Amino acid sequence: MSGAHNHARAAEAFTADSKRAHWHDKALWFVRQKRDKAVASVPEWEALRAEAEALKAHTRAHLGYYLRLFEERAKANGIEVYWAEDAEAHNQIVHRLLQEHGARRVVKSKSMLTEECGLNPYLQARGIEVVDTDLGERIVQLASQHPSHIVLPAIHLKKEDVARIFAKHLGTAPENHDPAYLTRAAREHLRQKFLEADAAITGVNFALAEEGAVTVCTNEGNADLGTALPNLHIACMGLEKVVPSAEALGVLTRLLARSATGQAITTYTSHFRRPKPGGRLCVVIVDNGRSGLLKEEFAQATACLRCGACMNTCPVYRRSGGHSYGYVVPGPIGSVLASARDTARYGSLAFACTLCASCDTVCPAKIDLHELLLKSRRRVIEQKPFHAKRTGLRMAAFVLRRPRLYRFLTALWRRLEGVVPKRWLYHPKNAWGRERQMPKIAQTPFRARYAKRRRA
Amino acid sequence: MSAKERILQALQSDTPPAEPWQSRVETFAPDDLLTSFTTAWEGAGGEVLWLGEASKEAIALALGATTKKVVDTRHEKIDEIAPEGLWAIVEGVFGVAENGAVWIEPKERYPRALLTLAEHVVVVLEKRRLVPTMAQAYRKVDFSTLSYGLFLAGPSKTADIEQSLVIGAHGALKCTAVLV
Ligand code: SF4
Repeated sequence: MSGAHNHARAAEAFTADSKRAHWHDKALWFVRQKRDKAVASVPEWEALRAEAEALKAHTRAHLGYYLRLFEERAKANGIEVYWAEDAEAHNQIVHRLLQEHGARRVVKSKSMLTEECGLNPYLQARGIEVVDTDLGERIVQLASQHPSHIVLPAIHLKKEDVARIFAKHLGTAPENHDPAYLTRAAREHLRQKFLEADAAITGVNFALAEEGAVTVCTNEGNADLGTALPNLHIACMGLEKVVPSAEALGVLTRLLARSATGQAITTYTSHFRRPKPGGRLCVVIVDNGRSGLLKEEFAQATACLRCGACMNTCPVYRRSGGHSYGYVVPGPIGSVLASARDTARYGSLAFACTLCASCDTVCPAKIDLHELLLKSRRRVIEQKPFHAKRTGLRMAAFVLRRPRLYRFLTALWRRLEGVVPKRWLYHPKNAWGRERQMPKIAQTPFRARYAKRRRA
Repeated sequence: MSAKERILQALQSDTPPAEPWQSRVETFAPDDLLTSFTTAWEGAGGEVLWLGEASKEAIALALGATTKKVVDTRHEKIDEIAPEGLWAIVEGVFGVAENGAVWIEPKERYPRALLTLAEHVVVVLEKRRLVPTMAQAYRKVDFSTLSYGLFLAGPSKTADIEQSLVIGAHGALKCTAVLV
């Protein structure tokens, strides 16, 4: 499986520290419970989810129309609009805009898209300092890591880890790991970065076609502060972020924060319709594989609001950690997106799933995540690295379809069970046996017992 | 062909919808808008102050800000911001009962940065200006004149370190709703 990502292998380091893995599991389940509480306070919750699903389907059907409308209206409001077909084009456009502006120092608020495009290393290689200003993102940036969750980027780290990272980079007291103390230190450190910045980059939660405006949601206020100071604001969005009008936000903002963190709304839900006086506001619309995804059986995955609820509820995510997915978006939705994007490389993610469908029930956009993962499996199993798995399943199917053969083999196994050496049975070639044990076979088969009972 | 045209061609979804999209969800209003609003606002870490009259002096006195720098954006013109210990009084256009969010629009009367640079943001809101949910809220915002506007729900906050909530991330450390 050279070059291919193997989720189970990648999770080994995480699962080896069982205490920490347990803590991670608990921390995310706590967020899931907060979500449940917030959801219970909205009687029309299920109707809202259905509406979000319908809204996203409607937007997909007229996506080109809405993107054109958004561009036209945004331009009329004084916003510049750029189009990028792939990550490279996106990075080039952002870099060019920064260069035009003579910007050396950039503050960035949370944007999974720029992570996807690898914008930070691209700009850093060209002599531009990029500071992630979301606290969680700053923590992982200082630690030279990647976010392990799309809403809680540093959820894999404990406060002692953060204390160590901050002591090294911000000069805080290494033994003080009080979150309030560490947050205050980060505030001071980042306040300086905000004041020095020549430009701000943000993501986009929603682009309003009718109004020609973009909406950004944060709790920390970093997008608002970052964009309020320098004269250049670049907002980067995947093309699926467009919605017909502000009317849609009357549905989506009710779903987003409740699903994400259990808050009724994010602290800042900010709308940018015109550049600030004397400033520039540039929106970069990025495809990077989305138009392809939209043509496939995975189109529904583009409805994702990036709330993270499917991660918080996923038994596999909670016990394996976000980094084990090896992709910019982890968890159920990440597995769908990654395996659709590059089946050969990310195929194993389709199996990082118990098919419990818990994600389907929490997803505010009602994406059939487990169905999509099942579809991914069908595709993945055709891939070369999964031939052994497929052969195994074919063999099982062959035997199970032939009752007499099945009876013969089980009878044979009853005799051999105690005889076959363990090291044959759990041979390294047997991937199935790596984390599993063969169940003990019953001495009298069920059929025999059943037959005996009926006679008695 | 430009990148834009290539992308749009790949999408093949240029047809306009037969009619504009409209939300049809029936929303349930909280029983008591005011109680719902204050509960949500306080739940988001904000403070509530009831005043009969919301002059700068009355607010400053009630909040004990005599020695602090207070700017009142309703009457003063603000060009420069000295954030150290700054309190800013801003007008809340209307509030949302279900989540304690207040619509704020600087309208170029004060710099956008004031809302995040001030240590204490004081939002003055008439208590009769409450809508039940975000569905009504978005119908109330006038986008045709908007430059920048936001729904603010309490002071800035983060829980990025071990999920412990800390009030005061990058924006205001403290946020008070003055209800008149
Ligand atoms: S797939 Fe659904 S639950 Fe998962 S992040 Fe996206 S919107 Fe949230």
